[in-house]
Amino acid sequence: MASEDIEYRRLPGRGVRRQGIATAARTRLWLARDHVLSVDYQWYAEDYKRFYFRDIQAVILRKTRTARTINEVLTPLVCVVLALALSLSIAGGFTDGFAIFWWIIVAVLLAFLVANILMGPTCVCHLKTAVQTEELPSLRRLRRARKVLARVRPLIVAAQGEITLGEIAARMGHAAGPGAAFAVGGDINAPLEPPVA
Amino acid sequence: MSIPLVTCTRCTAPLPGDVFNLPGLAPCPGCGQDLQVEVFPALFQSFAPGQTGEAIMEESESSCFYHPQKKAVLPCDACGRFLCALCDCELDGQHICPSCLETGKRKGKIKSLQNHRVLYDSAALALALLPAVTFFGACLTIFTSPIAIYLVVRNWNTPGSIVRRTKIRFILAVIFASLTLLGWFLYAYLIFVLTPRHAHLH
Repeated sequence: MASEDIEYRRLPGRGVRRQGIATAARTRLWLARDHVLSVDYQWYAEDYKRFYFRDIQAVILRKTRTARTINEVLTPLVCVVLALALSLSIAGGFTDGFAIFWWIIVAVLLAFLVANILMGPTCVCHLKTAVQTEELPSLRRLRRARKVLARVRPLIVAAQGEITLGEIAARMGHAAGPGAAFAVGGDINAPLEPPVA
Repeated sequence: MSIPLVTCTRCTAPLPGDVFNLPGLAPCPGCGQDLQVEVFPALFQSFAPGQTGEAIMEESESSCFYHPQKKAVLPCDACGRFLCALCDCELDGQHICPSCLETGKRKGKIKSLQNHRVLYDSAALALALLPAVTFFGACLTIFTSPIAIYLVVRNWNTPGSIVRRTKIRFILAVIFASLTLLGWFLYAYLIFVLTPRHAHLH
């Protein structure tokens, strides 16, 4: 019976998948010879989802505003706390216990801000197969998602073959005529209207 | 052929082909969100209809174990029963009958079909460690440590995580639980043997 051991290599990124109002699972991606494994870690159990390279139809990265919002919130906060710490230090000296406390707060907030800036913009990553479009919560940063995609793409290409931009255009055009699928919100399976002379 | 549909993951608008496989981000025509869409040939593949199996024409032909009226095409790699094209389930290059597939999945013998595993090593380690490091839970270690050791002994050979291979959690759980129990024995020894009351009795 098919039960041979599969070698897995860890892919970068970790995230949290919300499963309800109060429950969540940590999630990571692992790479095998012929598939990507998404592992959801709960307390004392693991749940697995396999995405075979031959079945992956598309990977969709959508840039989000989360990183920008964090920066927009943290920057004024750091400035306010920094001003507070400075004023306390000037008034009571840099060795004042209260001032030291606020300097620690400044350092922590600044560390978060710098880490957020260094990690780059955030994104949401989805992986599409014929039967599902699955979100990959471990790929929340655009740079990391691209890194993983660059690592997985050659394996998918090896399993399925390459498709060029021309082929994509030809196949989509052949399927429905130019621009038919591009009508936003329209019924893509609706019959085409005759071309206007 | 129907058009393969890739939609924006925010507004669900169908995406045009000119945003596919670009090196950078492109705006969604529906909501304007920046997207990077990588598509692969599987998107344009149509699915072949499933095989139903040929009916037996001559008496000399072997029949399927599950469908006596259908022609057998190959034996099951696990149990050896003759299978028709309908009953042939191909998995990792092997041909298995539905019954063996079900049994293999239920008993966890087919690794590629497993989608859930209990991590007894993590449970044992948590039982050995967590109560010990909490102030009120420390009293519970007299119960949790033997349970942790039991879990290790009972599940040493139970398959653990698919992706992690080491037994380090089991080993650490045994070490911590043993040390805790040793601490309890030492405590009991000090209380009951070396206290002045007992010294007086001697």
